[in-house]
Amino acid sequence: MLEIKNLHVKLEEEDKQILKGVTLSIGAGEVHAIMGPNGSGKSTLSYVLSGRDGYSVTDGSATLDGVDLLAMEPEVRAAQGLFLAFQYPVEIPGVGNMTFLRTALNAQRKTRGEPEISAGDFLKLVREKAKALKIDADMLKRPVNVGFSGGEKKRNEILQMAMLEPKMCILDETDSGLDVDAMKLVSEGVNALRSAGRSFLVITHYQRLLDHIKPDVVHIMAAGRIIKTGGPELALEVENNGYADLLAEVQ
Amino acid sequence: MGAVSVKPEALATRLGGLSLPTGMTPARDAALARLSAMGLPGKRDEYWHYTHPSAFNAATAMPAAVGDNGAALFAGLDAVKLVFVDGVFDAASSDDLTLAGVSLSRLATAPEGHWAQASYGALEAAGQSPIARPWAALNTAYASDGLLIHVTGKAAKPLSVIYLRRNETSDVVLHHVVKLEAGAELTLLEQGPAASRFNHVLEVDLAPSARFHHIRAQGRDLARHAVTHIFAHLAAEALFKSFTLTADGALTRNEAVITFAGHDAKAHIAGAAMGDGAFHHDDTVFVTHAAERCESRQVFKKVLKHGAVGVFQGKILVKKGAQKTDGYQISQALLLDDDSQFLAKPELEIYADDVKCSHGSTSGAIDDGALFYLRSRGVPLRVAQSLLILAFLADTIAEIEDDVIAEDIRAQLETWLARHES
Amino acid sequence: MANLDVDLPLLEVREGVDRETIETVAAMGAYKYGWATDIEMDYAPKGLSEEIVRLISSKNGEPEWLLDWRLAAYRRWLGMEEPHWAMLHYPAIDYQDQFYYATPRSMAVKPKSLDEVDPKLLATYKKLGIPLKEQALLAGVEAPEGERRVAVDAVFDSVSVGTTFKAELAKAGVIFCSISEAVKEHPDLVRKYLGSVVPPTDNFFATLNSAVFSDGSFVYIPPGTRCPMELSTYFRINAENTGQFERTLIICDRGAYVSYLEGCTAPKRDTHQLHAAVVELVILEDAEVKYSTVQNWYPGDEQGRGGIYNFVTKRADCREARAKVMWTQVETGSAITWKYPSCILRGDDSQGEFYSIAIANNAQQADTGTKMIHLGKRTKSRIVSKGISAGRAQNTYRGLVSMHPKATDSRNYTQCDSLLIGDQCGAHTVPYIEVKNTSSRVEHEATTSKVDEDQLFYCRSRGMSEEEAVALVVNGFCREVLQALPMEFAMEAQSLVAISLEGSVG
Repeated sequence: MLEIKNLHVKLEEEDKQILKGVTLSIGAGEVHAIMGPNGSGKSTLSYVLSGRDGYSVTDGSATLDGVDLLAMEPEVRAAQGLFLAFQYPVEIPGVGNMTFLRTALNAQRKTRGEPEISAGDFLKLVREKAKALKIDADMLKRPVNVGFSGGEKKRNEILQMAMLEPKMCILDETDSGLDVDAMKLVSEGVNALRSAGRSFLVITHYQRLLDHIKPDVVHIMAAGRIIKTGGPELALEVENNGYADLLAEVQ
Repeated sequence: MGAVSVKPEALATRLGGLSLPTGMTPARDAALARLSAMGLPGKRDEYWHYTHPSAFNAATAMPAAVGDNGAALFAGLDAVKLVFVDGVFDAASSDDLTLAGVSLSRLATAPEGHWAQASYGALEAAGQSPIARPWAALNTAYASDGLLIHVTGKAAKPLSVIYLRRNETSDVVLHHVVKLEAGAELTLLEQGPAASRFNHVLEVDLAPSARFHHIRAQGRDLARHAVTHIFAHLAAEALFKSFTLTADGALTRNEAVITFAGHDAKAHIAGAAMGDGAFHHDDTVFVTHAAERCESRQVFKKVLKHGAVGVFQGKILVKKGAQKTDGYQISQALLLDDDSQFLAKPELEIYADDVKCSHGSTSGAIDDGALFYLRSRGVPLRVAQSLLILAFLADTIAEIEDDVIAEDIRAQLETWLARHES
Repeated sequence: MANLDVDLPLLEVREGVDRETIETVAAMGAYKYGWATDIEMDYAPKGLSEEIVRLISSKNGEPEWLLDWRLAAYRRWLGMEEPHWAMLHYPAIDYQDQFYYATPRSMAVKPKSLDEVDPKLLATYKKLGIPLKEQALLAGVEAPEGERRVAVDAVFDSVSVGTTFKAELAKAGVIFCSISEAVKEHPDLVRKYLGSVVPPTDNFFATLNSAVFSDGSFVYIPPGTRCPMELSTYFRINAENTGQFERTLIICDRGAYVSYLEGCTAPKRDTHQLHAAVVELVILEDAEVKYSTVQNWYPGDEQGRGGIYNFVTKRADCREARAKVMWTQVETGSAITWKYPSCILRGDDSQGEFYSIAIANNAQQADTGTKMIHLGKRTKSRIVSKGISAGRAQNTYRGLVSMHPKATDSRNYTQCDSLLIGDQCGAHTVPYIEVKNTSSRVEHEATTSKVDEDQLFYCRSRGMSEEEAVALVVNGFCREVLQALPMEFAMEAQSLVAISLEGSVG
């Protein structure tokens, strides 16, 4: 589904190389995790894939179902089924959460040539999905992420994922700032969305999220490269020994 | 009275072609005397620092093409409709001047002994200190018509004033007087471009616990010029709410002079302005707290592109003894390109200690982070921009209490945004 | 310190009251620096004329070009009008009823070193707490920790009495001397930079200063040099009916750094005295200047009799890329303050900061603020202003933030807070914001409130008197600015805040 080949990326402003040849292949229905120390380039990868400004791709490619992702505008990538759950969800004062969701959903449907969802159906759908994530009516009415706690913001990200039904989901440090209960709730939300046609890329610093969202493949990223790939046991190895051994091993 | 720098000849030239209309003679004479004493504003006037008054100073109105007046706003509302065409009352297009709880008459036809003789120009005269407002004085002296509205109870319907324009060089001066007795309530709607050059004064006198709602949409004609003044005087526990939408117009100067004379009153004044290209919009507000426990809000937002200029001059004056005042002022601009400008002077002048007064002013581009977030959820760039612009303006629309009216205004904003996407 | 007796009961030590607070309060009293030095003076004749300008120039032994410069300013000034846009009310100033030049007779022949300075003058500065003796330093022994050395230029009425640590500074290539001396010793530097930031035509008071400035400080920091110690100038007005017109010029060359402090006091007099200074800072590529002022001119008495009229033009020109300036001011003195230390952010990525505490008590009036003129790309500025009004005082913040069309990607943040103590005073905010490009972001916030009753009560329930509590709360209100001051100054400023508010409660 997602094919990343030899991806090289630098920061436009600082002329600093962040990704130095990342290669990754995620098949349909697979859950991959990327772990790595701070500054290894994990978040950069998620931003580049979703099309944020400020990065320039100097080499390599990324495709979603064979289509070049990097040439597309962010909204087109979203309509193609790419979804990024932000590490720091953005607050948008003045835009109601419901308006936001409906605008996004209908925009994607329109791009794909599907009819808009009716107000009634939308309301029903959003209530149903919100309930599972323990998102109350008040949270839906408030402006997007404004005044939300850390946990509320992350649950709101998962709600969007549930509503937009993407095929490729990237979760960027979704566990950061979550307590145990909130992590469980968010993970359940994610697990409920796992299906044969939907893939996940879970970016995390710690193994604990992977206790809840079980990955098929674990990659270790350092200094802009994937230095090791393995099964779920690799995450446990990191948990027990830290990154130092792995880094030393590679060097 | 702040003297204004002007040569007497300039004023004589300006007034050359005008003669005082009949009726309200003492008030008109007094206004003319005030005007002569203060003169016309010039470039060096501090109060006209950011807005050049030459278009108002000119002897005649600049021709302005008559634009698409668009579908009338508030069409879905059951209101008493009153139509002026180029400043002339159009009885045929208007409803009858009868409304339960309201005495409604016209300035041009007010007979001797009319109740408004005691009110006409009174708040304008009081509003000339500490800062001179020559165009308001000129208005009182020369207004050709206007509505005289006396409300004793809760008005059954809103009054909806529609200013149409058919003439390219119309130079119109209208003056409305609104007087609400204790506990009375009225909603006044105004819309339309009115004239090539429009001088508008609205005096609002609110008795204790009176409630006044004012919603205004200034016409979309690109080349029109307007100078408007609202003078509001609030007795105890009165409520004054005013919202103005300005989309387009070459030059608009909207002044509001609000005075709290009684305790526990509230005044909220808001404005949403959107300009593309040759657009100069100036909101100048002066709020005087002269009584205890009053609340004032000034909420002004501007969306500017292609060289549009937005100005905000807002002042909160808290007089000695006006304890427990709660005054807030926010002025913000969204600059959509490098040619546009935002010029602001948000002032506080405070002579009482137990007060809570603050102001905020920001200016900048659309938030990149929010834009990306929306796009990452599949919202196309233009839609995302419009959504964020509407969100930016939302605080001003929130000041409109009636949902139907608010929805009309929001639709109007969306139309404007759709027309000015590039 | 006659008033000390009145405050004595506070000295009964109560448990839980901080020793420092007690000392602070003990130091409260009327203006501390109100005594005069009895010394023989030479005056130029009263009034202002071309002859007086020539006299000042000749007393300083100036070259022709500077005399011409002064005369041009004087002639221009004759055609100018005193500005009255500030929220300040005072009787008309009679510019002919002032002395424009006053110098201690003992200074007629300039002393060659501090040892030759009239002991009365030295005693004056000692009493003010200004060290004019260089601490004897043994070779290889560092100054005790926490005891930083500060070089001082002492200006007494119209002349500089002396400058300390000159030799040591010279070793680092730093020039620190009076401006009259700099005109003689470093004419090229003075000629190149004098008036280049505040031109002689700038405004009524700056033009007046350009015509009649008598002395002031001159600083030059050579490229890549971090000035080895803090520099300071201490201004003392002593003579009666005498205006002080000092001129300060600081040039911080590429990659250099200096922290400069300025203090001012004057005796109690029943009549108003005029002070019209000009300060120019020239900051080149990658250089940084910190300029801190504790302005404590005599504020006048409770009825508004006497006090200094303080009309000051201060401006920094961040002339090249990444230049940085930080103005910090604590304005507690003067009957009238008219002062707007400004930053011209000309170089790309240059930065300006303005931190201000302005306290107006009794009949004082202050109209002060800053201008941030963003001309270069990615320039940044920050304004933090804390105004405190008490008694019948009027305190105005007036500021300008201007983003020019070419100053793309620039930022400004302004926080402007006013505190009112008592219901007879006024606090005003007059900001001008002009934004002419889209990529810059300007944020302005202002609040006005009264001193928090809950905080006061909390302090008092812990044993503080009302005045102590007010001083503490006000110090908290000013904290952000106090922190921007060099350490020694911060302590002084903190106690000044308390002193300035004396008598404001109860």
